[in-house]
Amino acid sequence: MKKTILILTAFMMTAVSAFSEDKEKKDWGYLTGSLESTNHVYVKDAGNNFDPAFQPQLKDGNIFATNDYLKLDYYKGRLSAGLQMEGYFPTLVGYPVAQNKLSLSNLYVSWRDKSYSVTAGTFYEQFGSGLLFRSWEDRMLGLNNALLGARATYNFEDKVAVKAFWGVPRLGKIDDNAAMMGAEDAFFGLGLTKVHVAGADVSVSLSSLLGMEDISLSLEGSLLNKHEALGDLLKAAGCKENTLGWSGRVNFDMDGFFLKGEYVDAGKQIVSVAAAQNGRAAVNGNAQLVEFGYNGRGLGVTVTGRRMDRMTQKIYSFSGTESGYGSLSNMLSYRPAMSTQYTYMLTTLNPYSPEVGDKVIRAGEIGGQIDAFYNFRRGTAIGGKRGMKVHANFSTYYGLNETGGTEGGGLLFRDFSFDLEKQWTKKFKSVLMYSMQEYNKHHENTGLYIGTSHIVVADLLYKWTPKLSTRMELQYLATKDDQGDWMAGLLEVNFAPHWSVFASDMWNHGSTKLHYYNAGLSFSMAHLRVAAGYGRYRAGFICSGGVCRAIPAYTGANISLTASF
Amino acid sequence: MRSILLSLVLFVSAVAAAQVPSVTVENSKGESFDTSVLLEEGTPMIISFWSTSCKPCIRELDAVYESLPDWLDEVDFRVVAVSTDDNRLLAKAKSFAEGRGWGEDFTLLFDKNQDFMRAMNVSVVPHVFVVDSKGKIVFSHTSYVQGGEVELFEAVKKASRK
Repeated sequence: MKKTILILTAFMMTAVSAFSEDKEKKDWGYLTGSLESTNHVYVKDAGNNFDPAFQPQLKDGNIFATNDYLKLDYYKGRLSAGLQMEGYFPTLVGYPVAQNKLSLSNLYVSWRDKSYSVTAGTFYEQFGSGLLFRSWEDRMLGLNNALLGARATYNFEDKVAVKAFWGVPRLGKIDDNAAMMGAEDAFFGLGLTKVHVAGADVSVSLSSLLGMEDISLSLEGSLLNKHEALGDLLKAAGCKENTLGWSGRVNFDMDGFFLKGEYVDAGKQIVSVAAAQNGRAAVNGNAQLVEFGYNGRGLGVTVTGRRMDRMTQKIYSFSGTESGYGSLSNMLSYRPAMSTQYTYMLTTLNPYSPEVGDKVIRAGEIGGQIDAFYNFRRGTAIGGKRGMKVHANFSTYYGLNETGGTEGGGLLFRDFSFDLEKQWTKKFKSVLMYSMQEYNKHHENTGLYIGTSHIVVADLLYKWTPKLSTRMELQYLATKDDQGDWMAGLLEVNFAPHWSVFASDMWNHGSTKLHYYNAGLSFSMAHLRVAAGYGRYRAGFICSGGVCRAIPAYTGANISLTASF
Repeated sequence: MRSILLSLVLFVSAVAAAQVPSVTVENSKGESFDTSVLLEEGTPMIISFWSTSCKPCIRELDAVYESLPDWLDEVDFRVVAVSTDDNRLLAKAKSFAEGRGWGEDFTLLFDKNQDFMRAMNVSVVPHVFVVDSKGKIVFSHTSYVQGGEVELFEAVKKASRK
């Protein structure tokens, strides 16, 4: 495989060199690409209850793991083509265990004209908010549900846009056992499913059609059909092999006021075999999403409300034997947590992972959030000489009971946060934040165990010279639940524009007395970034875009490289 | 692994200047926006990929926002801020940008399924590009540390002389 890559590379390089020499005479197009490599060396750490020997992907005393992605795209006028290769030697701890080899995962060719486009091969797509359908890649989550198939889009000026596709979803990384059983990785590398998905989406801009210049108003709709071979038990219980879903949407914007509404009927969703035996195998999945607010004059306010009822929308609805069923990538739609995505260490200890309705006892969730941003301008009484930015957020979510009602559903998550950002002098800036979080520790049970935490953060940035700056974070979490109080600190020294060094520690002084330390440095120059560090990481969740993945505790060194060209 | 790195080095030594591809994203009103339209104005631009949960991205765009009046005295160019937030944070990203004043001076685009990000081969944010008046990418940089905006403006000045 390595030889193949080198030969392929040499061939393409020669071709590109020829293009480069000749580019003044003729347009030969151009190549771009990116490389991402994340490498870990694991260390046994009794304090963190971590031993590399017990990790499923680390065999025969191996303590090294790496996730690598190489992506190449060629553009020439309206034509583009590309590929992505992925290597897991083996997969990093906490990611789905993958085959320990290099694989071709994405391959596409596309033609894009002014009004239409055609793509064959691998592609990603999203309808509306993604509640009915989304295929995407998130490497941090180890998620990739790309489709292999064909897609066409057509735009009639800026008035009507239509797109349609057919494809077979990829299901992330498959496990070793599945590979040994002959899963279909021969061509596609990382496993194609036996499911076929076809969809169509149309968007009509009424404001453009009617020539309304100050208003933006559009009506949109989507259809999605999934074909999945089912076993006899599910067929006997009345489940159908074709699931047809649809959505209707409206988008409105005028003078900064906006309103978005979306209704999704996902069709009959298969919940579980237990439900099948009760004759309730397939229940209707539906969701409603409303967003409205105002953006203007330094003020930004967004209000979101959403209800999800049996929005399981899996690629494989139910099968304990299909490879990849338990993979995070086993989803056809995007049902994120609609709450603040916190970033400071102690604010992320209990992230909210939404209840999509794939458990028998809970049919889904209902809730909403409000976000408000305001910029006190320079020269005003509160803004002072350099202005001040404030932000507040509130969100609350409740579970739906088995029949889709709210009675007995229980609180799943509630939070309130407030932050204030102020540039005091040319050199000194601070961010102060408070967050209150109420979280349900056991979604799957009765919802009676609610934890509450209060977190304060001070983030202080000081610029010593135009090129030298330091940033310090001080954090405290107070709670009577779980492991009690925590404190955390971070110090970062930046040497612009290339170097950054940091050290941090999270200390659970309320119960375990454990320190989760971390230190590292990064170097970036032009297209290249290299970062290295060493630390102890707590078991928890990695969340990206409102989707969370559980990760085990680990300790070790890491080095990552990203390059684009 | 070594073969990948070797391949990369070989590639970097050979590639021709990349350009801004045509991809459909959203503007701040939620309407479809073809990124090839960005090239029609024929002036240099900074294209900055950011997200609401990326603090260095926000610090970088704030630094550019603060410096912009002085920079525009020297060079005629534009700033395009591309949010890579998923739909979960899309509405929030718009309110966030408004709450920081970016809407006044930047062209705000929203790449909710990361199509533009993929087409530009952006792996992590922040990632900035400087594009000259002919649409060629003449500078790019991943990550941001305080003060890095000076190097960015030097690249803009260089691009404007082309």
